[in-house]
Amino acid sequence: MEESIVKIEHVSFKYKGSNNLLLNNICLTINKGETVLLTGESGSGKTTVIRLINGLIPHYYQGDLSGDVTVSGYDIKNTQLYELAGTVGTVFQNPRSQFFSVDTDGEIVFGPENIGLDPDEILERKDMVVCDMHIEKLLGRSLFELSGGEKQAIACASVSALLPDVILLDEPSSNLDRVSIERLREEIEVWKSQGKTIIISEHRLWYLNGLLDRVIFMQDGKMANEWSGNEFFSKTVEEIRELKLRPLCVRNYFTDDCKRECDGKTGCKNIVSVPESKDGAVLRDFYFSYHRKPFLFFKRRFTENDEGLALNTKSLVLPKGAVIGVIGKNGTGKSTFLRCMCGLENDCKGIIESGGKSYKGRERLKLSYMVMQDVNHQLFTDSVKAEVLLSMEKEDEKHTDDILKSLGIYEYKDKHPMALSGGQKQRVAIASAIAANAKLMLFDEPTSELDYLHMEKVGELLKTLASSGKIVLVATHDPELIDMCCDYVLCIENGRLGYMKRVE
Amino acid sequence: MKVKLDPRTKLYMILIVSALIMLSATTPFLWAIRIFITFIPIAFLIVEKRYTSAFVFTGAYTLALIMTFVLVTDESSGFLKSFLTGYSGIVVQFMPALIVAWYVVRTTKIDEFMSAMQKMHIPDGITISLAVVMRFFPTIKEEYGSICDAMKMRGLSLGGGNVAKMVEYRMIPLLFSCVNIGDELSAAAITRGLGGTVKRSSIEKLRLTVHDWMLIMMFSALTICFVYSKYFKA
Repeated sequence: MEESIVKIEHVSFKYKGSNNLLLNNICLTINKGETVLLTGESGSGKTTVIRLINGLIPHYYQGDLSGDVTVSGYDIKNTQLYELAGTVGTVFQNPRSQFFSVDTDGEIVFGPENIGLDPDEILERKDMVVCDMHIEKLLGRSLFELSGGEKQAIACASVSALLPDVILLDEPSSNLDRVSIERLREEIEVWKSQGKTIIISEHRLWYLNGLLDRVIFMQDGKMANEWSGNEFFSKTVEEIRELKLRPLCVRNYFTDDCKRECDGKTGCKNIVSVPESKDGAVLRDFYFSYHRKPFLFFKRRFTENDEGLALNTKSLVLPKGAVIGVIGKNGTGKSTFLRCMCGLENDCKGIIESGGKSYKGRERLKLSYMVMQDVNHQLFTDSVKAEVLLSMEKEDEKHTDDILKSLGIYEYKDKHPMALSGGQKQRVAIASAIAANAKLMLFDEPTSELDYLHMEKVGELLKTLASSGKIVLVATHDPELIDMCCDYVLCIENGRLGYMKRVE
Repeated sequence: MKVKLDPRTKLYMILIVSALIMLSATTPFLWAIRIFITFIPIAFLIVEKRYTSAFVFTGAYTLALIMTFVLVTDESSGFLKSFLTGYSGIVVQFMPALIVAWYVVRTTKIDEFMSAMQKMHIPDGITISLAVVMRFFPTIKEEYGSICDAMKMRGLSLGGGNVAKMVEYRMIPLLFSCVNIGDELSAAAITRGLGGTVKRSSIEKLRLTVHDWMLIMMFSALTICFVYSKYFKA
């Protein structure tokens, strides 16, 4: 007989101060050694289930909880969180906020130190985990200089070091690129082979094929459906779309790296020649490096032939009215490209030609607008309306209302932007971009944390923006999004343009 | 050459340097002691290969010292002179503490710091909060950078000429994101057993070495000389 390790019995829950019942009479039993996926829309209660199992509910996030949760013999309600540390381990969504140490070694041993293990045993465990997870290269480094994928690998290792029986992953792939996601899959495989019980809450599905024993579909705080892993992955595209989930398999935009398409030194011939029309925009001489050789009294301009450039683009034509997906591995220059384009890097002296005018230096700031990955950084005022008005050269209330209506956020115009949901905040940022009359709209990974429904909305929005005459560039790791809305993909590798292709 | 100091020695350094800069130096001998203790952390920065910060600190401190002694005399008057007096006075007075603190924060791992505090029998509550503060500095810097970028993009860097707005636009997003990150950070830390009743162990084997004892004795001796020469040797 199979032995159950997680048992959730008739649990209902709502957060303190909220009227929504987030979980509504849930019952779930998970057997030892199973790998289970929780999926469903945002707000369907996936994360809440994860928090129930690791005890953050009710011990850290307070609210009304009824029913019983038992994990590995512990009654969660009456167990202190630190007692669970050796039993349940959690990998969280955001790699940047789950570190306690500032260096990789310290992070891996942090958990075992907390539970008071003997130093020699801790070191043994560290060596074992490092070997299992193949992270030898990451040791002895500062966590702040690692890429998102590397941070997530360290997070997995540090959870592993506590040797938990149950491992929870809460949207672990959100901030990862293709390569890192594959690495994450390997880490899950390692755990699976060690016989751990693994529970994953996730929107991205393609990378989990073949790993899952069970799939649980959540809807409105209930477990709406359940399939075996094989059953789930043999569903048709229509069935998955019906469930409003992200697709099970995606086209391989990312497996070919740019190199395969072109020769690293001479650049690429595969750039589709988009005619230089007056409509679009032409980027000229975008060179940039984070490590500038200091000259004493003046700044030397970067040139094409400098070595170690983070961005090296002689000229690029961007067609008007198109959505261009910018792809490439983490840390390969996508963000640098966007930052230079909108003029955030002063040392990049590139020129943007558009509509018969050329824009240099600070003028580029007016021409373009970037919606950042973390939109919280770019909302400054105390109401949605004020936020949009702030972007206008002349305050125009009627125009503001029109913009807000067109984005479907008119009803929130007097609310504080920080009180809105993630997707709504993104719309507010887009609204102020429209108000600023920017021609170039840049998006830095707008859909990395979104479910299918919201991703679809963003996709439509990008298309609408493009058809209203803007040039839209979107840096993304989501092949789903590219399929949905991009007209071109632009691949960047080591700061050089790989290729720009039409999406068929 | 590699000298690894025990965090306890480093804390002692901070304590002594901050105490000494609070006592005013009146005679050349006292000045000599004060300048000497300032250059110890700078020397350690060089040992740790942090040449840029060592260079900047030396430059700023020397400049302020020269200004205090040469430019500004008792007869100096006028706006520029008084401004310079004030400026160099503040730098000379407080920079030593800044340098030591910088050195300590930059070279101490959080783990080391926590086990040192534990060895000194400081309550866990205090240790953990201080450790979180240390962990948070780089985060704040990162967040602040992104916020400044966002402001630049919207042409708000100067807050439309309004100083209050300038501060407001920076602080509100910064506070929001720090609160969020702090919340996630503590959730992640307690799921990994922080704050338990078990005595925390550490793989950092802290031992006071010869270097540590030498430094501690040197700092104590300097303090005694300073206090004696200032108050008792009239």
